[in-house]
Amino acid sequence: MSANITDPIEFLKNYDGPEIRIMEVCGTHTHEIFRQGVRRLLSPKIHLISGPGCPVCVTPVNFIDEAVFLALEKGCTITTFGDLVRVPGSKMSLAGARAKGANVKVVYSPADAEKYAEEHPEEQVVFLSVGFETTTPSDVIAVKRAAGAGIDNFSLLTANKTMPGAYEAMASSCDAYIYPGHVHAIIGTKICEDELAKGVSGVITGFTGDELVTALAIIVKKFSEGKPFFVNAYPRVVTDEGSPAAVALVDKFMEPCDAEWRGIGVIPGSGMQLRDEYAAYDARKKYDVPAMNPDYKTACRCGDVLQGKIEPNQCPLFGKACNPDHPVGACMVSDEGACSAFYMYGGEI
Amino acid sequence: MSDVITLAHGSGGHKTGELISEVFRKNLGNEYFTSDDAAVMPAPEGRIAMSTDGFIVSPWEFPGGNIGKLSVCGTVNDLACMGAKPLYLTCSYVIEEGFPISELEKVAQAMGETARKAGVKIVAGDTKVAGKGQVDQIFITTAGVGVIPDGVNMSGAYAKPGDKIIVTGDVGRHGTTILLARGDYGIDAEVTSDCAPLWNEVEAALGVCPGIHVIRDATRGGVGTVMYEITEQSDVGVKLDREKIPVDDAVRGVTGMLGLEPLYLACEGTMVMICPAEYADKVVEALHGCEHGKGAAIIGEITEENKGRVVMTTEIGGMTYLPKPGNELLPRIC
Amino acid sequence: MCVGLSAKVISVKDGVAVIDASGAKREVSAELLDDLEPGEYVMVHAGAAIAKITDDSKTETENLAKEHLT
Repeated sequence: MSANITDPIEFLKNYDGPEIRIMEVCGTHTHEIFRQGVRRLLSPKIHLISGPGCPVCVTPVNFIDEAVFLALEKGCTITTFGDLVRVPGSKMSLAGARAKGANVKVVYSPADAEKYAEEHPEEQVVFLSVGFETTTPSDVIAVKRAAGAGIDNFSLLTANKTMPGAYEAMASSCDAYIYPGHVHAIIGTKICEDELAKGVSGVITGFTGDELVTALAIIVKKFSEGKPFFVNAYPRVVTDEGSPAAVALVDKFMEPCDAEWRGIGVIPGSGMQLRDEYAAYDARKKYDVPAMNPDYKTACRCGDVLQGKIEPNQCPLFGKACNPDHPVGACMVSDEGACSAFYMYGGEI
Repeated sequence: MSDVITLAHGSGGHKTGELISEVFRKNLGNEYFTSDDAAVMPAPEGRIAMSTDGFIVSPWEFPGGNIGKLSVCGTVNDLACMGAKPLYLTCSYVIEEGFPISELEKVAQAMGETARKAGVKIVAGDTKVAGKGQVDQIFITTAGVGVIPDGVNMSGAYAKPGDKIIVTGDVGRHGTTILLARGDYGIDAEVTSDCAPLWNEVEAALGVCPGIHVIRDATRGGVGTVMYEITEQSDVGVKLDREKIPVDDAVRGVTGMLGLEPLYLACEGTMVMICPAEYADKVVEALHGCEHGKGAAIIGEITEENKGRVVMTTEIGGMTYLPKPGNELLPRIC
Repeated sequence: MCVGLSAKVISVKDGVAVIDASGAKREVSAELLDDLEPGEYVMVHAGAAIAKITDDSKTETENLAKEHLT
């Protein structure tokens, strides 16, 4: 193994060492890797696997059913990020509910949703709170603002999750992680050090083409050296301590809970829910949302795609029954889904 | 004259006549604009091109122009895309009862100025007034006639592998402007519509390369949609170089914030030109000498391989696809 | 939802920052960062500034390559 790598891309193209499986667990990494054409630059010995990094994709179908219930049965105004609107529920998507008269509004941040609630006191506004550690602080800031301003027509339908449980669950499926840069901007590097102590390797990575390629070269080189490793390759944004202010803020309003990840099952303590004292902002409690356990049979293999067991184009529905115009599963409709990334940017050139 | 448009203004009686002379003839008048039922002009020599377009843009006024300017540019540019020197335009208005006459003045003024600049004459028009709520403020339809010089033959079906793809300016500005003017995104940015008549630019390009294969204006759906249309019509592939595509900084900032692709946002003053490779540099140079062509650049080429798809080089030297155009991003963009 | 935008801070007041990304300006929450000063660069996500950016991408990538690839 040559000691000096002057051109990371040449190194990655010509790598002829042992096969290596590298997993990313961040929807934006999934999309950027495809969008930048990274996969086509790699040696066939390097396998990039897309793991459960898309928060919309790992949310089970019953979340959409709950949102539809709130919209149609309780007359709530649903505020949401755009890509959730077309995710299929067991009976219909939010777009389908809209066609039946539901009020569904696309917003660009939870703060916009809270502002909307302030400006429309006659509407019961629910924000679909889906995301990992990067997004959860913004959800909490919106609740904090509502609480401070005495707003009583705003609440969250939560499906927030945390990554460490996923790193554990997926560790045997890969040789090293591309750690999600912005999650660690919030939670710092300790989790990665803990994983290293258990023999799990990874590199915290940014999002530009050069950052991705440099991080991949570091992973492949260190892997070849034979010892578990951890490198923070995004130090200009990720500090060791992360954002204690964000962690403290989230901790004030939310607590861990068990959460179901599509395809993987329940990962204990991997979800976040509002604490009891903030029940007024928890849509499930506020509107008595019944438990939804749809008997939902589908040929959709999102669950397997999310664990990196198959590539999107190995799902029998990919590109045929399931495409961005008629998505069957969340992975195809979400902005961060592996299937939508593959559909838009993948395939032979 | 009253302050606002009333149903009487559309009834054909003296109020209509008043409106025509005090607003329309004043701003649009020329030797062919008469009170007769039709305008009569001498027949031009050569093949004529005709085009029509309806304009329902919301809001009707935006940074960089208004629906009047847009309605003239739209039809002038459609004719220019066929290599036709635009000669005459007609315009038909449907105005909502209650629309302020001072605003109608602004529209007509913009049309007159744009027409003069484009060298076209608006020779005939019609005005209808619809009741409150039956139309949203003002809708305009323009139709135009132009004449194509001998030797010029362009069509979306004529792109050939090896041809170079040129854009006449930066992309996505009109779409971004309308999005900001309409949306509640809380974004403050200085973006103005690129709305402009482009016959001079087309004439200059054809002057150095009469054999240009395709010229198309990148309105609804932007440059990206034009690229996919060409791959279908000409049965070819397209390869673009992301780094060469000119994008205004503020457009880059806004689209970055909203997660949008500038190639799919409308332009109203930017055209795509596809010409044989050996002429590409000359065409770009000729465009640089024109008012609205200063940002012209070669952004890619037509290929034999990857038919039906648009491939892009990425910042790290990788290759990827430009995703196919999705559903309508923004209604009532023009 | 990791998608972040790097932007320059124009002003900060009462926990709200005005940020500028290539000329597009917007208000975002500054509650997660102490001592944010105009002129600093931040990573923005879902309407909040989540971290300060303390170096430029090119320099950082070069340093990483020097440290780990040689």
